Amino acid sequence: MSVSRLSRSAIFAAAALAGSEYGQAAAGGDRAFGEYLSAECVTCHQVTGQATGGIPAIVAWPEDQFIAVMQAYKAKDRDNNVMQTMAGRLSKEEIEALAAYFGSLPIQPLRN
Amino acid sequence: MMIDRRRLLAGSSVFGAAMVLGAPALLGQAKQRVVVIGGGAGGATAAKYIAKDSGGAIEVVLVEPAGEFITCFHSNLYLGGFRDLKSITHSYDRLTANYGIRHNRQAATQIDREKKQVVLADGTRLPYDRLVVSPGIDLKYDSVPGWSQAHEETMPHAWKAGKQTEILKSRLAAVEDGGTIVMIAPPNPYGCPPGPYERVSMMAHVLKTAGKTKCKIMVLDPKESFSKQGLFQAGWEKYYPGMVEWLGPKIHDGIKSVDPKTNTVETGFETYKNAALVNVIPAQMAGKIARDAGLANASGYCAIDPETMRSSVDANIYVIGDACIAGDMPKSAFAANSQAKVAALNVRGELTAARVFPARYANTCWSLIAPDDTVKVGGSYGAKDGKIAALTTFVSQTGETEAMRKEQQAENMGWYAGITSDMFS
Ligand SMILES: Cc1cc2nc3c(=O)[nH]c(=O)nc-3n(C[C@H](O)[C@H](O)[C@H](O)COP(=O)(O)OP(=O)(O)OC[C@H]3O[C@@H](n4cnc5c(N)ncnc54)[C@H](O)[C@@H]3O)c2cc1C
Ligand code: HEC
Repeated sequence: MSVSRLSRSAIFAAAALAGSEYGQAAAGGDRAFGEYLSAECVTCHQVTGQATGGIPAIVAWPEDQFIAVMQAYKAKDRDNNVMQTMAGRLSKEEIEALAAYFGSLPIQPLRN
Repeated sequence: MMIDRRRLLAGSSVFGAAMVLGAPALLGQAKQRVVVIGGGAGGATAAKYIAKDSGGAIEVVLVEPAGEFITCFHSNLYLGGFRDLKSITHSYDRLTANYGIRHNRQAATQIDREKKQVVLADGTRLPYDRLVVSPGIDLKYDSVPGWSQAHEETMPHAWKAGKQTEILKSRLAAVEDGGTIVMIAPPNPYGCPPGPYERVSMMAHVLKTAGKTKCKIMVLDPKESFSKQGLFQAGWEKYYPGMVEWLGPKIHDGIKSVDPKTNTVETGFETYKNAALVNVIPAQMAGKIARDAGLANASGYCAIDPETMRSSVDANIYVIGDACIAGDMPKSAFAANSQAKVAALNVRGELTAARVFPARYANTCWSLIAPDDTVKVGGSYGAKDGKIAALTTFVSQTGETEAMRKEQQAENMGWYAGITSDMFS
């Protein structure tokens, strides 16, 4: 099934329905570890939570949805070779840590 | 004595941050100092992450003569009319203010490795506990016969962004229909593998938009093949038919000489007389400051430990970005940013006993071929077999949908916003 263009909540719902691993992923990852790992993400994603161009916002998401989307890239259920490559090397714990860290950040207002 | 005091401070919860902030003069040398040479993709990132993540425990001094940084990345988009110069020019103000980084606006003239000091242009000596070196590349001005630094305005390289890019852009605008443009492409290794070919695409786009479709861009390449070759050549065929001709070394048989007076380029195969524009991109090597300090090997670049980015010849020095030998990673701003974070983590690990994790690196390079048609190449990397090795890689395919190519251009613009805010704020 290609779910490349589905929204994150649709992915989450689909995964939960199918009872797959990432539908039931537990929240509560190691936030400090996530902060370290996040350095790799913020070369593209804005830490302020703003979407820019073709790079979506990933800040302040519910952790379970974040985890579900990352698992979908990892499993190549969601297209985009950049994100498949980034997620592909992350373990379950690392994805949970990232979800905890990005989930805890506030969306900052635009500058200027 | 100094060391004892430092230990005491580090281990003490009674003398907290207030003490450190309140009595800097008293504590004097107690704070460890990291000097970063170069405020580009590697250096600015390293300075930020060391200062930010050490929460003030490490003093960070950024040595960079320029007051603002013009990115070489996306300078091709400026050439093509997709960006203005202001949008690729960045101030250091927020970086220094947000993280308490001291910006010393001078060039480093020498690294005294024995004394662990950086000598600045005005003679000042800056002691360091650890040094991060990210000076980028220097051009080999003697690598193209007949061409030298004295000719860089007549035959621009535009491989350092700023004035050179503007010269190339205005010269391109002045090319008349039917004129021949010659690009002499660089040999490996050089900054940004797809860069010259993205530039060819942007030049062709400018000519085509101005209705000058009888122009011809001759690309004389010392390499047998180049990055994303199939994708670029398919793009040139599609958007700029008959306007771009790429010749490898077997066909042109080498650049015999160039004559900046007559804008002539002579190869073993043909002589291009009175070219409308000649863009010479010469061979490259690590920045002088790194070579003079003995950090580079015979290749002209600096060997590093792939686990940490530490120099192979000096344990107190880290070399990142274009100046280092990064194994399978290309020389790119993305790569320099990624290496900077590994270096920053290890510097903190050494100086403040921060937790250190295994190195992970990533890269993606987008290239604009025509409006809304962007291709990409990238991968993830780790330390393996004594070098930075590719773990997984990907590259765009010929025949991708228009929608996908357009989306990739949006990613490219978003990435630029992302990496520049990561570097400068
Ligand atoms: C035309 C072009 C297009 C490119 N496109 C892309 C792209 O699309 N994507 C991408 O990822 N990369 C791209 N790049 C590559 C990218 O620009 C470089 O890989 C990257 O900037 C390297 O970072 P760095 O820190 O090693 O050096 P730089 O960013 O070059 O920074 C070096 C800094 O060090 C300073 N310096 C040098 N010597 C000294 C000294 N002695 N004392 C003090 N300061 C010193 C310089 O002033 C400079 O500011 C492109 C490059 C070019 C030329
Ligand atoms: C090279 C640039 C780049 C890097 C680095 C990167 N991403 Fe992404 N990310 C993207 C792009 C582009 C998309 C949109 C992909 C798509 O269309 O599905 C995306 C999408 C996402 C999404 C889904 C957003 C949504 O609205 O559906 C999440 C979550 C995400 N990334 C998290 C991360 C994390 C976590 C990291 C670091 C481990 C990371 N990304 C690193 C470029 C990047």
